[in-house]
Amino acid sequence: MLYTSESIERLVEQFAQLPSIGRKTAQRLAMHVLKMPREEVAAFSKALVDVKDNVRYCTICFNITESDPCSICSSQKRNRAIICVVEEPNDVIAVEKTHEFNGLYHVLGGALSPLDGVSPEDLKVKELLSRLQDDTAEIILALSPNVEGEATTLYLGKLLKPFNIKTTRIARGLPIGSDLEFADEATLTRALEGRVAL
Amino acid sequence: MKILNARLSNFRNHAETEFNFGSHMNVLLGENGMGKTNTLEALSFLCLTKSFYASTDGTVLQRGKTFFEIESTIQSDTGKELRVRVAYDDQQKKKKFTINSADTEKFSSVIGMFPVVILSPENNSITFGSPADRRKFIDLVISQSSTAYVEDMVEYRRILRQRNKILTEARGKDCAADLLPWNEMLVKYGARIIHKRNMFLQEFAPYIAQTYSHIVDERETPKIEYAPTVKVSGDLSLENIIAALETKLQKKKNDELRFQTTLVGPHRDEIIFSLNGMLLKHYASQGQHKTFLVALKAAEFFYLKERCSDTPVFLLDDVFSELDEQRSGKLFSIVESLGQTFITTTSDKMFGGAEWNSHRRKFIIRNGTVAQEATA
Ligand SMILES: Nc1ncnc2c1ncn2[C@@H]1O[C@H](COP(=O)(O)OP(=O)(O)OP(=O)(O)O)[C@@H](O)[C@H]1O
Ligand SMILES: [Mg+2]
Ligand SMILES: [Zn+2]
Repeated sequence: MLYTSESIERLVEQFAQLPSIGRKTAQRLAMHVLKMPREEVAAFSKALVDVKDNVRYCTICFNITESDPCSICSSQKRNRAIICVVEEPNDVIAVEKTHEFNGLYHVLGGALSPLDGVSPEDLKVKELLSRLQDDTAEIILALSPNVEGEATTLYLGKLLKPFNIKTTRIARGLPIGSDLEFADEATLTRALEGRVAL
Repeated sequence: MKILNARLSNFRNHAETEFNFGSHMNVLLGENGMGKTNTLEALSFLCLTKSFYASTDGTVLQRGKTFFEIESTIQSDTGKELRVRVAYDDQQKKKKFTINSADTEKFSSVIGMFPVVILSPENNSITFGSPADRRKFIDLVISQSSTAYVEDMVEYRRILRQRNKILTEARGKDCAADLLPWNEMLVKYGARIIHKRNMFLQEFAPYIAQTYSHIVDERETPKIEYAPTVKVSGDLSLENIIAALETKLQKKKNDELRFQTTLVGPHRDEIIFSLNGMLLKHYASQGQHKTFLVALKAAEFFYLKERCSDTPVFLLDDVFSELDEQRSGKLFSIVESLGQTFITTTSDKMFGGAEWNSHRRKFIIRNGTVAQEATA
């Protein structure tokens, strides 16, 4: 079509598939790649493939990791009696940045959303229940402060009730409709401190 | 608040029109189809981020153009001036709302910042139309006076869509387990909305009684009653509403599966208007309907004036032509007592004796331009 090079066209197509990249940006990126030294491009493409080859999901907490179990799950310094439940791996990074939490995580892989075809079976819920032990002292539900996160919190709260484990949710200090991932550290710290029992 | 000026670009039939408005009354005079209503619609974009009747932003974009823009200076009651700009790009299908050159992230956060009351022929559906039209009316009043209500409404709509999705996907089969968390969400947010609507209608009652008696001499007593989706035993406390919603959800379980949609919740509320104990909908004359509507809108003005940090602006589209001389005279005297108003009309007979100055301006609108401005 517009392009005099099929390779460029293919690269633009690839960039344009990425989230929040429009066609114009994709073109700019492709042109930039063209001007990069060959070694840099090779390193870049290797980094892409390495992510696919080396990164997997921790079989305990389902966070992303290169070694299984992940460094958090296998750490002796973490408090193994507290599990913080989040939606996505990015949320783990957000909570870790606050340096306020020393327990373990459980990554659900999303939140309940029938509109997006996500029902309880699509989340790592069974896996969460099978992790609960006699010495599990607290479960913190740190899901996004939106409708889907709140519905998931309610759902898990009900499910966890028979286990008689202290279950808390982070306080809704976060602006409504925002993602945990985008909350700044101070806000998230306050939300963690002000968590309320379910 | 006062809208000091506005510039409309590629908005409906306004290619590039500038207004310097009067601080009190602004009369937009012109023949049919000249662009008077379009001007009010642009002001609606400034106050509410959207049109008061067109459903999409693309509709108001001037035919053949790719973007429209409305720019304005708005002065708050405290005298602070804000530059407000709405810009729509049709290629990206993107709208921007900017206050003092800072983009607004959530349009819902603008609602209530620039309070506005609009009285236009579309509003006839408030008294004539379906329950949805009446809900829309009270929702906009409450939204402009309560940010929390706007948030609750946005979230409630999302919950409804999520829940309806489960019901349609189930195709009549049992889906109770999947519905469970969404039932709880529906009840929680639904109860908050019902609670708030009930409080609002109680607060609003004296306002409508007052404005109605201003327009009509005879003893006609207007009444607004709330008929929520559920019968609540006892007072309408949050707990009682929650209990009633839960019971009704349980009762409607099978019907919901059959109709594949949510049948319980504030989206099924009704608001009942009556005059001297007779239902407006069934018994009132055309004139009584109109008078009721005008009284509702005037009441909205006074209600918002007391609750918002700013005095609302009042947009009146083609209102005087539909009332008899006596009632339109009364309405005019009410309008004179309000804050800044914008009135469209095809005849300035009504304003014959008026003096035009920096407080009261007359704009003659012709083919999407200001043909003449009377200020002195
Ligand atoms: N998207 C658009 N692009 C260009 N012109 C438009 C667009 N939408 C509406 N118009 C034109 O705007 C005019 C209508 O303007 P408006 O509704 O403001 O009239 P008015 O002055 O209020 O008239 P009336 O007294 O009949 O109510 C019509 O001529 C219509 O063709
Ligand atoms: Mg008109
Ligand atoms: Zn792990």
